[in-house]
Amino acid sequence: MADAPIRVTALTKRYPVRMGLGSVAALDSVSFELREGEIMGFLGPNGAGKTTAIKCVLGLLKPSSGRVRLWGLPPAHPSVRRRLGYVPESPDYDDAFTPLELLSLFARMRRLPGGRCDWLDLLARVGLSAWETTRIRKFSKGMRQRVSLALALQSRPSLLVLDEPTGGLDPLARSEFRSIILEESSSRGATVFLSSHLLSEVETICTRALILDHGSLVRQGSMRELLREENQWRLEFAGEAPASLAGRVSALPVTSTPDEAAGSGEYRELRTAGEDLQACIDELRSAGARITRVEPVYGRLEDVFLSATAGQREEEPERDQ
Amino acid sequence: MRTIRAFADMTMKMLLRRRTIYGISIVILLALLGISRVPSFDVGNEGRFILDFGMFGLEIGALLLAIGLAANLYPRDRESRVLLPLLAVPLSRAHYLLGRFAGAALVQMASLVAGCLGLVAVLAINGYAVPPALIPAALLLVVEGWFLLSVVFFFGFWTSPPLNAPLTVLLFIISQMSVREFVSLLPAASGAMKVIRLLLPHMDAFHIKDPIAHGETVPLLYFAVAAFYGLCYTAFILTVGLAVFRSRDLR
Repeated sequence: MADAPIRVTALTKRYPVRMGLGSVAALDSVSFELREGEIMGFLGPNGAGKTTAIKCVLGLLKPSSGRVRLWGLPPAHPSVRRRLGYVPESPDYDDAFTPLELLSLFARMRRLPGGRCDWLDLLARVGLSAWETTRIRKFSKGMRQRVSLALALQSRPSLLVLDEPTGGLDPLARSEFRSIILEESSSRGATVFLSSHLLSEVETICTRALILDHGSLVRQGSMRELLREENQWRLEFAGEAPASLAGRVSALPVTSTPDEAAGSGEYRELRTAGEDLQACIDELRSAGARITRVEPVYGRLEDVFLSATAGQREEEPERDQ
Repeated sequence: MRTIRAFADMTMKMLLRRRTIYGISIVILLALLGISRVPSFDVGNEGRFILDFGMFGLEIGALLLAIGLAANLYPRDRESRVLLPLLAVPLSRAHYLLGRFAGAALVQMASLVAGCLGLVAVLAINGYAVPPALIPAALLLVVEGWFLLSVVFFFGFWTSPPLNAPLTVLLFIISQMSVREFVSLLPAASGAMKVIRLLLPHMDAFHIKDPIAHGETVPLLYFAVAAFYGLCYTAFILTVGLAVFRSRDLR
């Protein structure tokens, strides 16, 4: 199948309000696409519509309008389901089972080949090797989340949909979770759709990201595109900067940064707007400075997120999905 | 079918590991034991009394089992968010409903069979003969239990468990009434009441405890027709339940 793993076109989901009087839009004409093998971050404040969008993508909710296609097929298509892995936010599997039993039962339901040894390997991979025959009722939240990940990875899915998979996990568990996701993407080429509030996590592992706010897509792009501060450039140079630059740069000098790769000596850096970049370079050169690096300025995802969702400052409980 | 069987197996294991089934089964068995200690007004016919009340107890047991086993299944799956990965990946909604129903039905059947064996034991211990018609009567009881289970699943898709139980009990009571008895509840709307009663199930078809207790012969054809009726109605309720479930958004 050459089609994109996920293609969402003008997706709108409206929920009826009480007594059927009108409706509220949880998603408003959202369109995006995931490419094969990429890790897409899905961001948004509480109630932005992320979980609603994920449920529409998985066929658990019927869109009010618009279209969702996974590899060109509807989400409920059996061949699509076979290629899917899904980790919902904090699922609470029946605590009477052990992880090994759950994997065996799910394997039967999915008609997967493989047996006890495969499931033991899988449990070892998610860090549950010592707990395979312990009932889930004795598990912490993090361990339950690992069970959920093991169930999602069981079918070696081509598309992993993760809804807040690391919420409530400790830093070590989060790091292990991240490693597994990266491994799935790099070694098997799995496509990952990751919804998270942990911006640092998204920034670390995602290749692209979408930001949703009030049910609308407010920003999307590659991580570099998103993080790149608009029209801001960083110049690194050796030598003294002329005083005439003071009006054109945001800080002069910002820091002194000895750059081992560029040779010995003291290096400085400054930031300037795109329209002043050429003039800055010319003046630095005429003052005898040696320019060693010119690059766009990248910010933090948190800043991008806050600026993208600046409109939302009040909670909307009815939209809190 | 393999998917449904696997999910039914999972459901069965899950229910057998919960205390509910054992609690209800113990209550049924204790009630059966207690019946033999209740003094009968009909001296000389204590065996008939035990049989009559024993089967009534099993019928109530079927109702309790249906509610106890199934009323919380779907709501719990939703609350615990287990429903989402189940329906997103391995199961369709029909698989889910049929798997859960089959698992619960098998557990309920096992419990009712145990109850019937308990009744046989109580009769035997007290020195009374066990009528052969008890076997088909027990099978009808199982069918009635499945029907009640389907009703609990049906209500489960659009009500909460605290409302599910009284609604099921209400339907259980109404479905025991004759058309005349039901119409007498609201004579002013007798036409509508008659139509409603005709549409609602007629569970009195399953009640053969009186003729059995009185030693009357019940033709096997009757058992077959009553079981067929019960199974058809169960399938109908499950189909309507599935339609309701399919129309539900899993918010």
